[in-house]
Amino acid sequence: MEMKTLDTEFVEIHPRNSYLSPKELIAHRHKEFEVPSGGLKRTQNEGTASELEELKRAQDHLRAQLSVPRIERLGGRALATWNEEQQVAEVLRKDGKFENFGHSEQGKLYLEYYEALFLLELGRLQLEYYGLVVSIEQAYVLLLGELESEKYTNYLVYSALSRAGYIVVRHKPPEATPESVTKADCIWALLKKIVGNHLVPDRIKASPFYAVVDKQMEDNKELIISQKIKEPEDTEESINLQFDSKKRKANDEPIEEPESKKEKLSTSGRSLVDHLKTEFSYTKFEEVFEKFDIVQLERQDYATNEFTVSSLKITFDLHLHNEGYKKSSPNPPNFNVIILTSQEAFPTHDDISKIQNQYLHTAPLLVVSVSESKQIQAFLYFIS
Amino acid sequence: MQFTFPCKRKRCYNKNINFTPFPNCENGDRVQGRFTGLSVEIIDPSQAKSLYDNGCFGKGSKSRGGPASGDEDEVLFLGMEESCFLAFYLDILDITCTTGGIMDFQMFLKLAMDLNERFVENLACYLYLKSKNWVIKSGIKFGGDFLIYKQSPSLYHASFLVIVQVSSDLEYYKSKNLKGVQRVAETSDKDVLLLTVNKPKDIATPKELKETKITETIVRRFNYLTFVQSKQQ
Repeated sequence: MEMKTLDTEFVEIHPRNSYLSPKELIAHRHKEFEVPSGGLKRTQNEGTASELEELKRAQDHLRAQLSVPRIERLGGRALATWNEEQQVAEVLRKDGKFENFGHSEQGKLYLEYYEALFLLELGRLQLEYYGLVVSIEQAYVLLLGELESEKYTNYLVYSALSRAGYIVVRHKPPEATPESVTKADCIWALLKKIVGNHLVPDRIKASPFYAVVDKQMEDNKELIISQKIKEPEDTEESINLQFDSKKRKANDEPIEEPESKKEKLSTSGRSLVDHLKTEFSYTKFEEVFEKFDIVQLERQDYATNEFTVSSLKITFDLHLHNEGYKKSSPNPPNFNVIILTSQEAFPTHDDISKIQNQYLHTAPLLVVSVSESKQIQAFLYFIS
Repeated sequence: MQFTFPCKRKRCYNKNINFTPFPNCENGDRVQGRFTGLSVEIIDPSQAKSLYDNGCFGKGSKSRGGPASGDEDEVLFLGMEESCFLAFYLDILDITCTTGGIMDFQMFLKLAMDLNERFVENLACYLYLKSKNWVIKSGIKFGGDFLIYKQSPSLYHASFLVIVQVSSDLEYYKSKNLKGVQRVAETSDKDVLLLTVNKPKDIATPKELKETKITETIVRRFNYLTFVQSKQQ
């Protein structure tokens, strides 16, 4: 602002910055970029001139997309500063609820690089570095590092799963606390006592379930001994499976649900395709089937070999929003996430089996593969 | 996340469901088959019918499934694994070679290995699945080794696309390959079953196959978006 003379009636104001008109403001706020379609998907470099040209165009486009001026309200954003040494963003000012982001340490809230970048992209965070505001373009280099690393894929997975509606947190290795004694533990202990003459451990004897289960098993034994053997009915086969014409859903009804947590996580040692053995045609011809039942499932015994360390790394844990997630005392997660880059082969039976046998995970494993085109696809494993 | 397997019934209810998983050969009649260089042919129509009706073995040379064209010259083609199973494990089939003599296990094995160097691994998987009451057909039309059916291909859609792997060559664990078969299988509502065969040594008699061990892996695409949405409702 500048005043020319005191005599003049009019005061002329010359702003130091040029301001955008309201129309321009709105136009900039919702600037949309369309991705140019590139025809068929290709996965390998050919190095031809036309390809280089195309790559340059794509890079220019990306640059333009990233460096477009972004219009945001100054308020309504949290403020954080990037700590290069510890590779975390320290939150200086919160805005609104921070719910599931960040972790507290000595009264300060810190954001991981992926959390900071995610909030930055959502426009919820203003990141500063040595007192200067960091642009999104700069943040990519600052937070993910200049060199190629797993950070970028980790961020992609974090961002995709967060947007899908999961609470994504850094994987916490399971704590070595003894599991509380369940009914199933009592049953197993009793079975071992009867079949293998093992002693029942004291912690199981102390459980309130122990006496109840002991009694139930005695009753069941009586029932089994005294029951009449039923002849299989020759008339018609009863088929109990439901034949739904609809597409399979993610949460089909389970076939069986083992009670103890350890059993739930590990299906090792059981075949996944044994269901047809309950069919009438199997029981009728059981002798014939057994005659050529000579190729067996491989059973791995890792109890004797403690040194087989799995090469798989669990990066994130997934929680669901409506299951009362608490940052301070999280429930067991719904999934453990293993991230695969496009070059990596899928984990084999051995890899998964090792991780299961060492109880390194706390939930079902979700293998998330990031393809060459940065698409994200999740896979579930079932192993024998 | 418990495992459930797809098992979809076909939409035709008038099919005869009284079937047995194995052909009935109690009267001592052995099925006569002829090795052609690629497969084993059953020429006798009544034997061919009995093999197909009881256990769905083979494929009619002029039909999509069992021999159904009614032509007199229609024969039943048996794949190498199934003919080996019928001849040397179930012991109801005699296979004559091109020169006319009856083939023994070693001779058959040698010819089969010439056709497919992974024959023993495939045979191990065939036996493994057969002993679990599956009907096994070639999986070539879906890009795998076998398709396995409950009861019969005419009653059910195949539940699994089976891929046989050996521990030294895990080609199908490569991201591109696994995603490929996975997609093909998923569009037809099947699961991919990866069987890894661990064969300690070469075999000379049918019984020696018992040294072979198998591991099962099922990898299923998981739609994380619909899962979380279904949990939110």
